[in-house]
Amino acid sequence: MTQLAIHAEDISKRFVRFTDQRNTLKERLVRGRAKKSQDFWALKNVTLEIPKGSVYGLIGHNGSGKSTMLKIMSGIYRPTSGTITTHGRLAALIELGAGFHPDMTGRENIKLNGSILGLTKKEITDATDEIIDFSGLKDFIDDPVKHYSSGMYVRLGFAVAVHMRPEILLVDEVLAVGDEEFQRKCFDHLSALRKAGKTIVVVSHGLGQLEGLCDEVTWLDHGEVQRTGPTTQIINAYLERVNTEESARSRQVAATRTTTAEQDKNELVVTQAQILGSAGEPLNHTETGKTFAIKVNFTTNQELLGPNLRIAFQHETGPLVTMVSNHRVHADFGVLPANEYAVTTKILDNPLLPGRYRVHIDVFDYTGTRTLDTWNEVLEFPVRSASGEIGQGFVTIPATFEIAPTNAP
Amino acid sequence: MLATIYQQRALVRAFAARDISTRYRTSSLGWAWSLVQPLVALLVYAAVFSLVFKIQAPPLGADADRTSFAAFLFTGMVTWNLFSGLLLQSMGSLKSNGELLRKVHFPAWTPVLGTSLVQLIQVALEVLVLIGMFAFQRNIGISWILMIPILLATALFAQGVGFILSIANARFGDVQYIVTVSLGALYFLTPVLYPMSLVENTASWLAWIVKLNPMTWFVTAMHETMYSLQFPDWWVVPALLVFGAVTFTVGFKIFQRWSEDIGEIL
Repeated sequence: MTQLAIHAEDISKRFVRFTDQRNTLKERLVRGRAKKSQDFWALKNVTLEIPKGSVYGLIGHNGSGKSTMLKIMSGIYRPTSGTITTHGRLAALIELGAGFHPDMTGRENIKLNGSILGLTKKEITDATDEIIDFSGLKDFIDDPVKHYSSGMYVRLGFAVAVHMRPEILLVDEVLAVGDEEFQRKCFDHLSALRKAGKTIVVVSHGLGQLEGLCDEVTWLDHGEVQRTGPTTQIINAYLERVNTEESARSRQVAATRTTTAEQDKNELVVTQAQILGSAGEPLNHTETGKTFAIKVNFTTNQELLGPNLRIAFQHETGPLVTMVSNHRVHADFGVLPANEYAVTTKILDNPLLPGRYRVHIDVFDYTGTRTLDTWNEVLEFPVRSASGEIGQGFVTIPATFEIAPTNAP
Repeated sequence: MLATIYQQRALVRAFAARDISTRYRTSSLGWAWSLVQPLVALLVYAAVFSLVFKIQAPPLGADADRTSFAAFLFTGMVTWNLFSGLLLQSMGSLKSNGELLRKVHFPAWTPVLGTSLVQLIQVALEVLVLIGMFAFQRNIGISWILMIPILLATALFAQGVGFILSIANARFGDVQYIVTVSLGALYFLTPVLYPMSLVENTASWLAWIVKLNPMTWFVTAMHETMYSLQFPDWWVVPALLVFGAVTFTVGFKIFQRWSEDIGEIL
């Protein structure tokens, strides 16, 4: 059996919620202990076995008990029942820079924070230069931290915590801070710790981050362990649940246009648009890699020759990602007598990466130069990850890789 | 208990260092401020109580023909300030470190002791002024060496009570108000502003209350050794030390028992 760094056995944690606050002495004396209290079980019979040298993730929705579990591991909370054993020095990145005193300089705070985290004076002195270097705050280290930006604050906090040479590092949602460069630095450092055989427990909503980092993951749901296992498998199961729940809950993505009388007299007017699944079912989100369709309804008020429908996709951050056009794929609509039509455009193996996208629709005449109708910001739909993989950028493009030695005879 | 405290000495020192460096950082007079308050109080009290109320201090130990109300008063004030200072600082300490205690796991009493250490520096400054006052009066004696164990006993007693109050204050919002009011009353029930002989002539119930007040014991012992230059009965100082040590131990134990869930309480 592998050695365990943390062994949590049958942990339950109850929080008591007082419906009438009776925290003052007088009320305690006059009316006795509060009776109207509600128990809230943040954790129910949670058992975790975290092997030494592994990177372990905890996932789940907000309020699933992830952070409570982490606080129990770090010793801030005591479990209501159950036992927890940890082996080795433990450092928690629960809130970076929590112990900083605003009036003290960065350097003084390093010293104080180091001793709170359990370092000896010598260890602190040895690590100080390294910490300053890592944080990249050399020029500001002798300024009071109240003059720091929040990013600088967090960088210093992270630098102190990871340089206390912990055997076990608990990380709670802190990787989403700092700029791109510092985040990468943090990741590199975590990888280095992992290589050095340290145990890391991560709580995060960034499933993409977790996938690249964790060996094993536990999925908590309302304080109970739902599943434990290999990262990708558990994340996929979790995402599947989240996606099903979301589709059950939220509305479909569809829009009906309110047109002006003038528009109604145009040769062509787009009236409706909707996101559909490959089988024609209404959707509220799409998934990367999964075919979906956009149905566009329009009315022609006179006979038209092969109009050109263009659908543009704009990322929520602004950039225009791509555009599809029936002319470009040589799909000619032919001669359209005055009538109502619906065009279904299939986006094959949806190459859009997770994020939110806006749809704009333009219709041109058969030459592709004269605008017949324009409808901006028709729809906005989310693209979710189906596999847990969350890449960077906007699209995936098909690619193959081959490797061969170059010094072959 | 002592081993536990010794183990965490680095952390206690770190908290003390933090409080020292931040205490008067933004003021130009700095630590001088810590003497301004007691000296102004001394001046006002000395003027009002000796000139208006005509309270007579007992004769000085070195010269039975002379008295000094100011020196008598300051002896009591130093002892009292040691007590009330430790008490009030300890009481506020958990709350002011709440952010930290909710986020990081470490012994909750370390910031309390750290703050108290800084308070002791303030007391040391006052003691130096007191010694200067007596030296000026040429009222110096061998009995002064007892000042160290007496003040130590006072500090232990105050810290013991301070531990209990700090954790109680974290749990109940009313504690700080109760303490402020009680300290105000207790000050006048301690022979700081008047000699013990004045109380003994009054209603017997009042004399009893004053005599049962532990601070009376410490203040009286200080008056005897520092002002009157007399050695108290042989058992007095050891008894004070034992009393202080017991209070400290009990306070520490209660603190540890009640602070197990400190991360949730604050």
